[in-house]
Amino acid sequence: MISSRRAFLKTAALGGASLVIAFNGRRLLGAEKETAKKEAKGKETGKKEAEGKDATARFKPNGWVRIDSDGAVTLTIGKSEMGQGVRTSLAMILADELEADWARIKLVQAQPGPDFKRLGTGGSFSLGGSWKPLRQAAAAAREMLIAAAAAQWKVDRAACTAANGAVLHAASKRELKYGALVADAAKLPVPPDPPLKAASNFRLIGKPTKRLEGRAIVTGAARYGIDTKIPGMLYASIERPPWRGAQRKSSQDEKALAIRGVRIVPCASGIAVVAETTWAALKGRAALAVEWGAAPKNAFDSEAHFKRLDDAAEQKGFVTRKEDAPAGTRAPARTLYATYLYPFYAHAPVETMNCVADVREDRCVIWAPTQAPNSLQEEVAKFLGTTPDKVEVNVTLMGGGFGRRLAVDYALEAAEISRAVKAPVQVLWTRTDDTRNGHFQAASAHRLSAGLDSTDALVAWRHTKAGSPHNLKLPDPAAVRDAGFYQDLSWGVYDMPYAIPSIETAYVTVDLPVPHGPWRSVFAPSSVFAREAFLDEVAHARGADPLAYRLELLKGPDTVKAGSLTIDRPRLRRVLEVVREKSGWGAPLVARHGRGVACNIYDGETHVAYVVEVAVDNAGKVRVERVVAAVDCGLVVNPTGVEQQVEGGIIWGISSALLGEITFRAGAAQQATYADYGVARMRDTPLIEVHLVPSEAAQPFGIGEPPVPPLAPAIVNAIFAATGKRIRRLPVRPDDLKV
Amino acid sequence: MSEIGLTVNGTKRTVKVDDDTPLVWLLRDTLALTGTKFGCGMGVCGSCTILENGKAVRSCQVPASAAKGRSFVTIEGLSKDASHPCQRAWLEEDVAQCGFCQPGMILTACGLLREHPDPTDEQINTAMSDAVCRCGTYPRMRKAIRRAAAALRTQKKP
Repeated sequence: MISSRRAFLKTAALGGASLVIAFNGRRLLGAEKETAKKEAKGKETGKKEAEGKDATARFKPNGWVRIDSDGAVTLTIGKSEMGQGVRTSLAMILADELEADWARIKLVQAQPGPDFKRLGTGGSFSLGGSWKPLRQAAAAAREMLIAAAAAQWKVDRAACTAANGAVLHAASKRELKYGALVADAAKLPVPPDPPLKAASNFRLIGKPTKRLEGRAIVTGAARYGIDTKIPGMLYASIERPPWRGAQRKSSQDEKALAIRGVRIVPCASGIAVVAETTWAALKGRAALAVEWGAAPKNAFDSEAHFKRLDDAAEQKGFVTRKEDAPAGTRAPARTLYATYLYPFYAHAPVETMNCVADVREDRCVIWAPTQAPNSLQEEVAKFLGTTPDKVEVNVTLMGGGFGRRLAVDYALEAAEISRAVKAPVQVLWTRTDDTRNGHFQAASAHRLSAGLDSTDALVAWRHTKAGSPHNLKLPDPAAVRDAGFYQDLSWGVYDMPYAIPSIETAYVTVDLPVPHGPWRSVFAPSSVFAREAFLDEVAHARGADPLAYRLELLKGPDTVKAGSLTIDRPRLRRVLEVVREKSGWGAPLVARHGRGVACNIYDGETHVAYVVEVAVDNAGKVRVERVVAAVDCGLVVNPTGVEQQVEGGIIWGISSALLGEITFRAGAAQQATYADYGVARMRDTPLIEVHLVPSEAAQPFGIGEPPVPPLAPAIVNAIFAATGKRIRRLPVRPDDLKV
Repeated sequence: MSEIGLTVNGTKRTVKVDDDTPLVWLLRDTLALTGTKFGCGMGVCGSCTILENGKAVRSCQVPASAAKGRSFVTIEGLSKDASHPCQRAWLEEDVAQCGFCQPGMILTACGLLREHPDPTDEQINTAMSDAVCRCGTYPRMRKAIRRAAAALRTQKKP
């Protein structure tokens, strides 16, 4: 069993030419959550870092908070920003608990090193995992500042309060700004268990708050990885083998070398063309004439893979959940069956993969748009034959991540080429490189059956997922006996929330020779697509209203256990009730328009329900007209951020349900750009209403990924309502819906 | 290599680049104006959009030789203080997520609003669907365009 985060974010060389991420889902991200908590705890209770020699100038009780004598508050953000708004949300949590003046905060991005050994952003765990440790860190600083002021005034600590970057003593109407207290506060011990604010006293948390990078973004000042400029930096573009495992037979380099400044550097990924400008590197690459040879007959083909998946889904598999019907349950009188197919997808962030590396004799500096800074540091150090402390990693803003930037392949390329040319180098992937050479969302097949008794009650549910773990390496033999391993791969299958007397879910592993790894919503989208669409089939087979039927199946015990997750049915019912009410569910629609519903609990935490309205024209083209969303993601830190993520997740879901897929022929991905790998655009955008359902949860949960999984099934359910045609394979093909 | 003279954000610049260098790289690598983004280099994503006489232009599709003597505005030239009505509207509607495509989106919207000061939904769809935002900020972008349109129309009234 892979049991460390290092293993989780480890990249493994495959075929010498490309890299994929070893990824093991919740277990490891969950472990990360725990270690993050412990680490933060250790920081508070452990060393006091007053930055000794200059303790009068600044107060830095822990890695997260620093206050200078001029009152400037610097907050360290340990999560990577890729559009999910995490820098703003984490800063809100810190600043609120610290009682800092929001207008005076500055953010710095954490660098991997002794202070930050477990940076990493994925799985929608940032807020849930950071909530307590960050509040404790900020509260410790606040308590020290209050204590310093009380001591200065010689008054009771309890008579002092903090607000807006200052400590107040109401009785004497005295106030001291934080900046004036840093010298005294720095001399105090760090409280191990500082009191946290009551939720009723939050000043920032829960208020719609603008993204801190907003102004930089709209003025073009925001710097992403691709914008890194280092003196003397060269630019590299890599000609990559057209199919996996291809070896260069011959190449004609003369034309490329004739371009001014061009150098040719063979590297693990292919042939790097290095030049003084991006354009010269791209031109040089285009001028290369490389003979790679034809792919072997058995090279990877996605249609053949679907057949294998389909067959595999009929196998028994590893049982991930089994609940036998209680005595007295009627036997099924009839059984419905269906198989659902889910394709390959690319991440396709608008900022393509890139990295700047400056490899010197004794150290290496990296500028990378990365979700995995520590993993990147370790892997680059290993590659260069040095230790991680010799590799400085600067985490830049990312033009989208979606899981792609959990892998560090592009950083290893930059390090390799910089070392070879003895200069700082920026490696930039072209759009085609990016579309064809990432780690893909793996295809899967889902075999489902539903047993209905003589009264048409649903008494048996079976769901087998045949797919591929996010790991090209064979899993550890110990792991393949562990239910948790398969449950991780079966998000949305084994944690099926409905009350059905007999439940059996299973996972069948199918080898997949192309790189595949985490994508937005990790393992959940395919499973939730199949589950929620098949449940719709069951509802229609019984003549039931699909929304009412879901609510009926969510009766019974309020909480049930599935693996390590607790399913909270009342919260899921609540989001369904909200979308029922807000969408006008049941109101008549014109011909070839239809409504569909779907819902999901993401990783036992965030609850999402959708009602989607579609229109299907006579050519079979589907247009999503309206999406009504209800979300319970626990305590909401930034409502604006939550709404943005839900809107973005809906657009992402539309792309995957209706537009692009990656297919493979002769070992190669067939799509190259947004022209043939379709993604949603303005014209595909429906009316979207997001309803945040007040939650009883005392902490926030993730929202970057949870909006994705239930969208595609809501769309296909709406298509059924509009046309009577059941879509069981994504993306939807207009030919199947033509009149 | 040629000497190319062009005007960027109101300043005359002379650069030495290969004639076939796409304007996006001239701006980014030679002039270090990195607000203009590279997303595809083949005119399918819109990230590199800049303005010429108020019209949106894909800078990846303009070779340096053709840019000679012309005048362009990049996101850095729209305003430094985010005071342009489009920038303000973008901030007021909280449009950006990762923000990478947004300079191109804002300038595409500027081009649209010059042509259609009060655009219909269809006109917004047509102009903006040339560009890709993978974060899915389109609903807010549509609101921001309407807000900017209203602000621009008010501004123009005597």
